[in-house]
Amino acid sequence: MKNSISRRTFLKAATGAAAISAAAPVAAEVHPPGWRGSTRVQQIATNCEMCIWRCGVMAEVADGKLLKLQGNAHHPLTKGKLCARGNAGVALLNDPDRLKYPQIRTGERGEGKFKRVSWDEALDFFANKLQDIKKKYGPEGVALFPHGVHSGFFSTLMKAYGTPNSAEPAYAQCKGPRDVAYLLTFGRPVNSPEPVDLEESKCIVLIGSHIGENVFTSQVAAFSDGLAKGAKLIVVDPRFSTAASKAHYWLPIKPGTDTALLLAWMNVIITEKLYDKEYLDQYAIGFKELEAHVQQYTPEWAESITEIPAAKIRETAHLMADCRPAVALHPGRHVTWYGNDTQRGRAMAILTALLGAYGRKGGIFLPTKIPQGKIPLPPMPESERSRADRVGSVYPLASEEAQGLTQGLIETTLTGNPYPIKAWVVYGQNIFESIPLPQKTHQAIKNLEFMAVVDVLPMEQTRYADIVLPEATYLERYDPPAVVTTAKRPFISVRQPAVAPMYESKPGWWIAKQMAKRLKLEDYFPWTDPQDHLRRLIAPMKLSETELMSLGAVAFDGKPYIEDRTENDGPLFPTQSGKIELLSSVLKDLNLDALPKYEAVEPPPAGMFRFIYGRAPVHSFSRSENNAWLDDIMPENPVWLNSEVAAQLGMHDGQKVVLENQDGVKSSVITLKTTPGIRKDVVFGVHGFGAQSSSLKKAFQHGFSDNALMSRIAVDPLTGGTGMRVNFVRIHAEKG
Amino acid sequence: MARYAMVIDQERCVGCHSCAVACRSEWDVPVGFARTRVQQTGVQGTMPECSAVFHVAQCNQCERPSCIPVCPTGATWQEPNGIVRINKELCIGCGSCVAACPYGARYINADKGKADKCDFCSDRLTQGLEPACVATCPGKAKIFGDLEDPKSNVFNLVYREGARRIETAQTAIGPNVFYAGKEEHLKMASIAFPPGRSRTIAAVSVWGAVAKKLVMLAVGATFLGQAVAFFHQLRTGEHQFEE
Repeated sequence: MKNSISRRTFLKAATGAAAISAAAPVAAEVHPPGWRGSTRVQQIATNCEMCIWRCGVMAEVADGKLLKLQGNAHHPLTKGKLCARGNAGVALLNDPDRLKYPQIRTGERGEGKFKRVSWDEALDFFANKLQDIKKKYGPEGVALFPHGVHSGFFSTLMKAYGTPNSAEPAYAQCKGPRDVAYLLTFGRPVNSPEPVDLEESKCIVLIGSHIGENVFTSQVAAFSDGLAKGAKLIVVDPRFSTAASKAHYWLPIKPGTDTALLLAWMNVIITEKLYDKEYLDQYAIGFKELEAHVQQYTPEWAESITEIPAAKIRETAHLMADCRPAVALHPGRHVTWYGNDTQRGRAMAILTALLGAYGRKGGIFLPTKIPQGKIPLPPMPESERSRADRVGSVYPLASEEAQGLTQGLIETTLTGNPYPIKAWVVYGQNIFESIPLPQKTHQAIKNLEFMAVVDVLPMEQTRYADIVLPEATYLERYDPPAVVTTAKRPFISVRQPAVAPMYESKPGWWIAKQMAKRLKLEDYFPWTDPQDHLRRLIAPMKLSETELMSLGAVAFDGKPYIEDRTENDGPLFPTQSGKIELLSSVLKDLNLDALPKYEAVEPPPAGMFRFIYGRAPVHSFSRSENNAWLDDIMPENPVWLNSEVAAQLGMHDGQKVVLENQDGVKSSVITLKTTPGIRKDVVFGVHGFGAQSSSLKKAFQHGFSDNALMSRIAVDPLTGGTGMRVNFVRIHAEKG
Repeated sequence: MARYAMVIDQERCVGCHSCAVACRSEWDVPVGFARTRVQQTGVQGTMPECSAVFHVAQCNQCERPSCIPVCPTGATWQEPNGIVRINKELCIGCGSCVAACPYGARYINADKGKADKCDFCSDRLTQGLEPACVATCPGKAKIFGDLEDPKSNVFNLVYREGARRIETAQTAIGPNVFYAGKEEHLKMASIAFPPGRSRTIAAVSVWGAVAKKLVMLAVGATFLGQAVAFFHQLRTGEHQFEE
């Protein structure tokens, strides 16, 4: 508390009107005095970055100090709602462990010894190193590991510098296979925020998605609204999740068999002719082939595989058919589970199509494009060498526009094949906690001649960097606006600084522009400042800049359902055929399975459990564990074990245990949570804990790192997505 | 006159803790303490017939508050609208109210040496704003309003939809936080989070009455500041005695 001004004390002291922070590049409207007595409290609208959803936030600021974050009621999607993490942004801003000034490494990699330097010295050093690497290895010798929208400026810089090598976990460790599956089927990826019409749905189907523990405010609101309006909920999950506790049907499926269940559902819906015939006749191709294909996948067949009774499979299929087309089968988000994830996504997309739910109220709604300005840039240098991560070559459906394959860049750094990668720029990404096979990541770093890290907090990777640059938090900087098309009312929302950057931290746009100057790439940053940048982007939108800045977001009319669309809105299903492709022409052309089939996954060996992981509502990946307010609620991630199994093992709730995986990798000591709400063949832990950076004084060694146990992956042959639910663990009681 | 109440819809609540963090931020609640907290029953039953429910706890703004009679300085008082408030100038941080609350809704703010608890964000209400927890709740699980307004949501939920209090025969003090949801879930929450036995309720009410007279005398006879100083001493002495 010592580092943060006490709001009440402050309010007592403050008098009169507060002037807007000089750092704010765009002046927000000063509102009349708020409820807090005589102090003029400014409301500065921005969007959140405690996770990736970018909810609307009103920062309450007086005299340049942040008092509180509230939900922004003007935001068209999140409508004034803000989750625990969003509210706790205040504690991120005031985190005493923040990176405060630029540093250059003086000790060994990983040792954590640095000297403080000036920004000029740091940026000169950084730019010189990049020029050296270019001379010795070509620009492709540098790989960028970005994360999030704010890294966009640096991504432009690195493209202009000449490297095509950039990858973030959002693709191969998260939603790549899902987006490819829906692209193949409907002609567009799912995208984010997911256009799932939960609030209008009559039947919500979640396969592994754990809404409630996975909190995106508008999605939770829509979920709660949908259920309150009477939607039925089917939850398929080996664990009794929060969502399962709200479900009408909880199907504790045997992990890895989801595709069997999906195929059996299709079997029931097709053989009993419960599908939306009119919709399919009009919009889809490949029904006959699908009909023949699913004959083999009876509910009885699926029962033996999924361990869900055939009667329940029929009952839930009938429920979905009764509710069609208002069935919201959530495509999921983190879907890289077993290495066959694109085909599972295809099965989900096809089932959605059978129910006539894509483009329909209560199902999956359509995105609406909005006019958007582009800042013309000189052509990017053509790289003579193709990407090193094997996008598009080994993995045919991972597209150039996709966010790349992190593990591919690491592999190349290790092997030098197809060419050497000798420098990494890690921008806001936690490379040790978000990319599997962390053992390889550590190994690869040993091959580097240079590593730079830009971050807000002293995450583990900063200790390995040659240079560490402190970025301002999202509350202190301008970032490119969010342009969201996958909302019923598409919108633009802005991120603008609520307060001036603390310490010597700098916004990402400034860092990129400064580097561009040093690398003689200024032409790629033709805008003068954030205000100019934003103005160029919103020019064609015909909106009031003042309104946008004071309200934080401006929405446009949407056309979310098929009936809203006219020919002018472009093709309904922009696939190769212009139709919903139940049978994928792209996969057929590639000689791959054009219809999804069930492939068994390896079961856990005797005495071992499948390790599964997920989210908690108060943490985002590995980035929030050092937040004092969130640590207070959830300081560690206990490991869930079925209570009967625990009794058989002579273990009890609350005792300390260690997990050991199939390769002998051991977890740190962790608390056991026994529960009847998990299958006997799995254990579960929340992702993101177990920080190894002692500079993170709250998070350091709190809980265990699930990613440390990911020493094995199953790679999706279509997209390169890294299936991570293929690791098995033994549980050892820890004495004492 | 309004009678403020809150209904917590256990079916809408997903246990995300937004309310708790918004409250911490709104009221500078020190880490380690809370005016609002989210609890869970834990998973009960046997697979696949399991159930679990979240329970949000805070000051109930009771009809017959057990915290008021025990307060030796009169710092805790009740507004005509039912909200139980703390006059921070009068509070000496003695902790009697903390012990007297069967819902564990109060704490002593170590930074300030004063009792603290939820007051339905009274300051915000006077500005026409909802309580911070209600405003932020993504699941819209917290519903706030006037129990005497038949058009209000809380009226509807309490008098027509069966939202109810969590109380026992021993602790029937009329809490004004109500819980809505499936019968099964309400029962689970009642069993898992019953009001505690107020360990001071009988003894302290006698002591409290005596102490209150003393305070009134002190306040009447001399300056408030002296009374506060007096009770500061009293508190220090008490602590030494306890140790």
